[in-house]
Amino acid sequence: MSDITNHSGAQGDMPDDDMIAAEYALGVLAEPERAATAQRIARDRAFADMVAAWERRLAPWAEAIPALAPNPQLWNRIAQALPVPARQRAGLWRNLSFWRVFALASALAAACLAVFIYFGASGGGTLIATIDGGERRYFVATVDIKRATIAVMPAGFAADASRVPELWLIPPGGKPHALGLLQANRTVTLAVPSDLVGLAVSKATLAVSLEPAGGSPTGKPTGPVIGSGTLATL
Amino acid sequence: MDGDANRSLIAAALARIAAGDQVALQTVYRLTSAKLFAVCLRILGERSAAEDVLQEVYLTVWRKAADFDTDRGSSMTWLIAMTRNRAIDRLRSQGWTRHMEAIDAATDVADPASGADAMLERSQEHRRLQDCIAALAERERAALRGAFFDGNTYEELATRMQVPSGTMKSWIRRAMLKLKTCLEQ
Repeated sequence: MSDITNHSGAQGDMPDDDMIAAEYALGVLAEPERAATAQRIARDRAFADMVAAWERRLAPWAEAIPALAPNPQLWNRIAQALPVPARQRAGLWRNLSFWRVFALASALAAACLAVFIYFGASGGGTLIATIDGGERRYFVATVDIKRATIAVMPAGFAADASRVPELWLIPPGGKPHALGLLQANRTVTLAVPSDLVGLAVSKATLAVSLEPAGGSPTGKPTGPVIGSGTLATL
Repeated sequence: MDGDANRSLIAAALARIAAGDQVALQTVYRLTSAKLFAVCLRILGERSAAEDVLQEVYLTVWRKAADFDTDRGSSMTWLIAMTRNRAIDRLRSQGWTRHMEAIDAATDVADPASGADAMLERSQEHRRLQDCIAALAERERAALRGAFFDGNTYEELATRMQVPSGTMKSWIRRAMLKLKTCLEQ
């Protein structure tokens, strides 16, 4: 049997794209091919249809795996991470949490203005990012480049009983670097390590993941990333 | 699970999620989490990682329920594909897999859960796919199973079955072509 390293036309009538779609749906591609294929699915409708057709062919195979209930606590974790329900938004003006957020937003606007006036006068560099996921705003972060600190204020983050929010700095095209743990009920000011200050630039990303108590044990995000935002010059 | 009835319940709940109904998400969770968790756990081999991925899946369902397109397949197909993709993404990002024991095609078990009772509950689509898979060569079947259930890459499968990775690619590609032809008949 001959090996097929380049499959163009080698397998009869099946076009290349359909085979790549098949490989993606089966899950056999390694990185970086897998990520490149996922990006193509997002922008190429015809290709996405081919992948969907393969997923339809293969999905019934999953019935062979016996069902198994997850930890009963999992639903609570998911419910807590959901954005504010639509019901609540409908009754906005009578809703207590709306007014809490409104008060917070007003305080934030005032704080931003104060920061702007201060740094506008001194010429120091300040970057700001909102850390959002889904339709929810979780945190607002302000980077003071001169002092090499980052202040992170909770907006709509609800504490998770078993895990803690950890902040990550991701330079454009780079890997996440841990900055420290955040709090659900107060602003936390973290020192940006000297080797990371250069990475805290406009267009860098801040992301928050949920980690075990004490933070990620691996130095990389291990839990779900609940929100992210891009740093921009104030 | 009663396939058809459940599928329409899930599809209806997805439509309500798209309108912002959190109770509908809980309904989808109740109807699907045991199946999707089993899929995650099969690929990742570790409960806490599987639960993290499952959480991501349902948060994605919450945000993307409006993207579910009945023309492209059933609600379960959409959910299973999303779950497998997230679990495999996680495997790739951690850079290692728990499933590296040698595969011997000749002695490979037919199915993770075979048996008459289990087979009775399966959908018609499953039985049809199973027939087409049964028609493949042993080594092709074993390779596809390693990819689908264990989330292995070509390279990992080549190691597990002790063949060059080019050979593995041709086995899998040939098997996928056969599968497509068989399912279209």
